[in-house]
Amino acid sequence: MIEAMRKEIEMIEESAERLRRLAQDNPGIQKNAEAILSFVYLLKFVTPVGVIDQLKDNQQN
Amino acid sequence: MHFWNPYLETLARKELNKIELSYFRTILSYAKERSILYGEKLKNIDPGAIMTFDDIKKIPLTEKEELRAYQDMDPYPYGGILGCNIEEVTTFRQTSGTTGKPVYVPETYESWQWRIEAWCHILYMAGFRPHHRVFLPFVYNVYVAFWEAHYASEKVGCELVPGGGLDTRGRIHKILEIKANAMMNTPTYGLHIAEEARNMGIDPASFGIERMLCAGEPMSSATRIRLEELFRCHVFDHIGGTEPCAWAGMCEVKDGMHIIEPFFLVEILDRETLQKEVEEGEMGIAVVTPLGRRSFPLIRFNTKDLVIKGKETCSCGRSSRKIKEVVGRTDDLRKIRGVLFSPKTVEEVIRHEFPEVVEYEIVVERKGIMDEITIRTEVAPDFNGKELDQVKARLRENLKVKTNLSFHVQMEPPGSLPRYTLKAKRFKDKRENDKND
Repeated sequence: MIEAMRKEIEMIEESAERLRRLAQDNPGIQKNAEAILSFVYLLKFVTPVGVIDQLKDNQQN
Repeated sequence: MHFWNPYLETLARKELNKIELSYFRTILSYAKERSILYGEKLKNIDPGAIMTFDDIKKIPLTEKEELRAYQDMDPYPYGGILGCNIEEVTTFRQTSGTTGKPVYVPETYESWQWRIEAWCHILYMAGFRPHHRVFLPFVYNVYVAFWEAHYASEKVGCELVPGGGLDTRGRIHKILEIKANAMMNTPTYGLHIAEEARNMGIDPASFGIERMLCAGEPMSSATRIRLEELFRCHVFDHIGGTEPCAWAGMCEVKDGMHIIEPFFLVEILDRETLQKEVEEGEMGIAVVTPLGRRSFPLIRFNTKDLVIKGKETCSCGRSSRKIKEVVGRTDDLRKIRGVLFSPKTVEEVIRHEFPEVVEYEIVVERKGIMDEITIRTEVAPDFNGKELDQVKARLRENLKVKTNLSFHVQMEPPGSLPRYTLKAKRFKDKRENDKND
């Protein structure tokens, strides 16, 4: 489940990055895209999937 | 739902350790690159080489004095502690300045959201839920704590009522008018609200408060229980600070506080050497690293909070480490006639054994070559002369047993001692040239 959530977060990140680039001349939209990216940072922090995977790999090895 | 974030709060210890080590390396590397303070302080440290918790112990602690010193440079007002471009800063906060020049704290939108998320863990653990109408009886000003409480309440889904700009009686009327059923306050102010309500002929238990979260000063378990009795509600504690954020909170079990992992790496170090981790049940100094806040990276910050290390398990099901108790601040510890004294011991005695004492103040003075310690107390107005003498004798005796010190007990007229709304200043050390020697 957490892996699926992480994938969604990464998709939001890609999309928000694209939106930010598209809105270079529109501060209203650009700032909102940046706010989404702040939440993406937080969401990635609370879903440390990569770190857990690394732990599992080390245990298997 | 019992947990704010069931995934993080029930992770196995081994996984939490791995995550925290990884996050520590990341923030260390970031701090070295982006902050002038850490660029200089960590110039001989390779973040990639930090592989174990023992490796972390080799990194120097950060002291508050360093933060003050590095703030004297550009860009104003944050100077060398800033971890981002100044244009990214969206909010200014500062410390209270109790121990010297205030530290100015820069928050970006991102760092503020990170802080709030950590606070949501504290609120949720304390049982705050969307059906709560939370009264915050403070003017927030430039201080961080109640802003955090405000935004975290919103995020958890509570209905927040900012109660600044009113006096205590006005706040009591507002709590009753809007039927607030949760509060956040300092323990001192909670007691003051109860006292003032009684003066108005209102029983604080009739407020209808279900949950109270306390902040701002160390709270003895006796004070917590006293508040629970007065308001007939559940009272919870948490610990934190402006620089390191709020880093531990109490769950429904009410046996110590959970460290908010993996948001914070908390070390409880031996207070003499500040190097070795203490064992469970031992007292040490909390050293805190916020692992995801980038606007103001802080590595191994010496909080000067004295805490007792708690168990690694809890019947609530959370897997995070715990602290058993907050003893106080190292700044508050004093040697009086060769005896190490913490004002919190007096707080514990008063709140646990002397419900008739409504306010008190401790004064230490040097008379000749001797230290003298006096407790000035205010007792409920319905106590008469003979009863006062009995309280006086019992107080002297109980304080002697608990502190090993002989107190002069002085009775003061009702309403004569100061009342506090934020951090209480009940301990006054008037000795000259005394600095914990």
